[in-house]
Amino acid sequence: MRDEPVLQGFHLTRSFGDGETRTYALRDVSLGLKKGELALLMGPSGSGKSTLLAVLSGLLEPDSGQVLARVDGDAVDLWKLTPRQREHFRLKHCGFIFQGYNLFPALTAEQQLEIVLRWGEGISGREARERSREMLSLLGLSKKCHLLPAQLSGGEKQRVAIGRALIKNPQFVFADEPTSALDWTHGEQVIELLRIAAHERGATILVVSHDHRIVPFVDTVFHLEDGRLQEAETPVDVPPPGVRFRLEMPP
Amino acid sequence: MSYTLTTLWHDRQRYLPGILAVAFSALLIALQCGLLFGLLSISTIPIDRSEADVWIGPQKVLSVDTGQPISESKLVSRVAGIPGVTHVEPYIQRFSFWEKPGGGTDLCIIVGCRLTDDSIGPSKVLPQELRDRLTEEGSVVVDESELERLDIQHAPALLAQGRFASAKINGRPVRVVGLVKGMRSIAGPYIFCSLFTARSIMKLGPDQTVYVLAKCEDPAMAPRVVEQLKSSPLQQEEPDMSVFTKDEFSHKSRMHWLLKTKGGLALGYAAALGLLVGLVVTSQTLYAATMASMREYAILLALGIPRWRLRWTVVTQAFWIGVFGVLLSIPATYLLGELATHLGVKPLLSAELMAAAALITLGMAMFSGVIALRSLKQIEPVNLLR
Repeated sequence: MRDEPVLQGFHLTRSFGDGETRTYALRDVSLGLKKGELALLMGPSGSGKSTLLAVLSGLLEPDSGQVLARVDGDAVDLWKLTPRQREHFRLKHCGFIFQGYNLFPALTAEQQLEIVLRWGEGISGREARERSREMLSLLGLSKKCHLLPAQLSGGEKQRVAIGRALIKNPQFVFADEPTSALDWTHGEQVIELLRIAAHERGATILVVSHDHRIVPFVDTVFHLEDGRLQEAETPVDVPPPGVRFRLEMPP
Repeated sequence: MSYTLTTLWHDRQRYLPGILAVAFSALLIALQCGLLFGLLSISTIPIDRSEADVWIGPQKVLSVDTGQPISESKLVSRVAGIPGVTHVEPYIQRFSFWEKPGGGTDLCIIVGCRLTDDSIGPSKVLPQELRDRLTEEGSVVVDESELERLDIQHAPALLAQGRFASAKINGRPVRVVGLVKGMRSIAGPYIFCSLFTARSIMKLGPDQTVYVLAKCEDPAMAPRVVEQLKSSPLQQEEPDMSVFTKDEFSHKSRMHWLLKTKGGLALGYAAALGLLVGLVVTSQTLYAATMASMREYAILLALGIPRWRLRWTVVTQAFWIGVFGVLLSIPATYLLGELATHLGVKPLLSAELMAAAALITLGMAMFSGVIALRSLKQIEPVNLLR
């Protein structure tokens, strides 16, 4: 399934500030993610993990370097697109899960998903509702469709956030610390759902986290330190069968 | 229910200041205009209470109480000849000076009209008994609320004894033979009298009048009669003549007072202040609400939802805040209007005025939504990653 990379970053560099205050969040980073791959990006605070996720997902422009995405048989240079084209690219192909749940307090679980389909793709209310219920059902929330975020547990809220990211059936999913606000029982459920989304739905998923307990569930682990990709350290946890670690070297 | 309405209901406490600000603005505009229009309507009571459909007056007449004398006989006979006109009669209304019994003078408005039952002038506001008393030369009737201004506070006591208070108008002696209610005026008290007495006070000749009033078979014919009069040879013969329908003349007189008294300016200023308060509070409410949902909006932007969709959401919220505010203002306006009426100032809250206040305030609410859009400029999805 995973032969050619479908999302590649080449020599990505990103700095913040000017002159003497300039600091580099990314220094010549290159990596590739394959279709159906669940990848984990680890590193200490300030190592540039979130910056790399933002650059790869089309949210933050790099100072230099290239991001190539292969969609529908075409290679798209993400940072050569106009802002509107990039917005459209994200609409069609990207899902996001951020730290915290970021759910509208006034909307029910199914409305949180519906809104993405109706506002993004102009899908009718009825179809959007059906697809949202179907997705929530897959996430084990069929009985919680009509509940507001305040009536859901932390784990349930994060599952709704995952549903919102997956409802468009995106080719790429970017998750920033998706388990940080959860206890491990719920965190494990979340990462398992992401693994299923990658392996069964064929989504390419990049997870940024400092949570080592995730490591056994992922296909690939990238380590970032001081803005550079490092060779992976031997994980403390024993990886389950089939899990492998790989260090992507710049081409 | 739409996502916007769901959000407004869920976060009603957050949006309440905006709704109240809109309601306050709408109430202020409607009530202030209503009070002013109510006040101005007093100046046209003689027109509005008359049964005349067409008013013929002197050239360039500015308002009902500023007319100059015109010739009666020629006009009355020619106007009566217009098809559709069923009744014609002279009517006198002009400013004059009331000489107070205790000394000093004050402005007053002489209202001289026919006193017969078939009169189309404003004499019907007076009961038959008072109209009978006015047939005697030098007899006048005034509003009971104007006694102090006219310096005849003793008039009711004298009337109870069958006697009359005396004064002078324009040097001519008059007797107050009766009192009437609800005929207050802005500029000067109305002095009701017969045409004969009015001519005598105004020192007019027997063929002079200030207006000629005409009644049509059907009030709807009034505009056609006015057009006919304007294009008739009479207009060439009497270039000093102005012709209006009852409504036109009433409107013209009110507008004259509105502009002359600078009431319009004061009204516009106060209404603008009300709108400004509404604008600031509503836009700040929407701004704060949008900023509170910054992270949720940011994730929608990350997911590729176009920014215009979020702008539309904020403007839609503003629209609904406007609608709820206006709905809230309607009963409040009528309630305060009733209170003002009890206090002696009756606001004129017409459906047109209420609709205009609602539309202006709704426009203000939408504009406040546009101002609040600056909050969306600060929302960048990448900020969620820092």
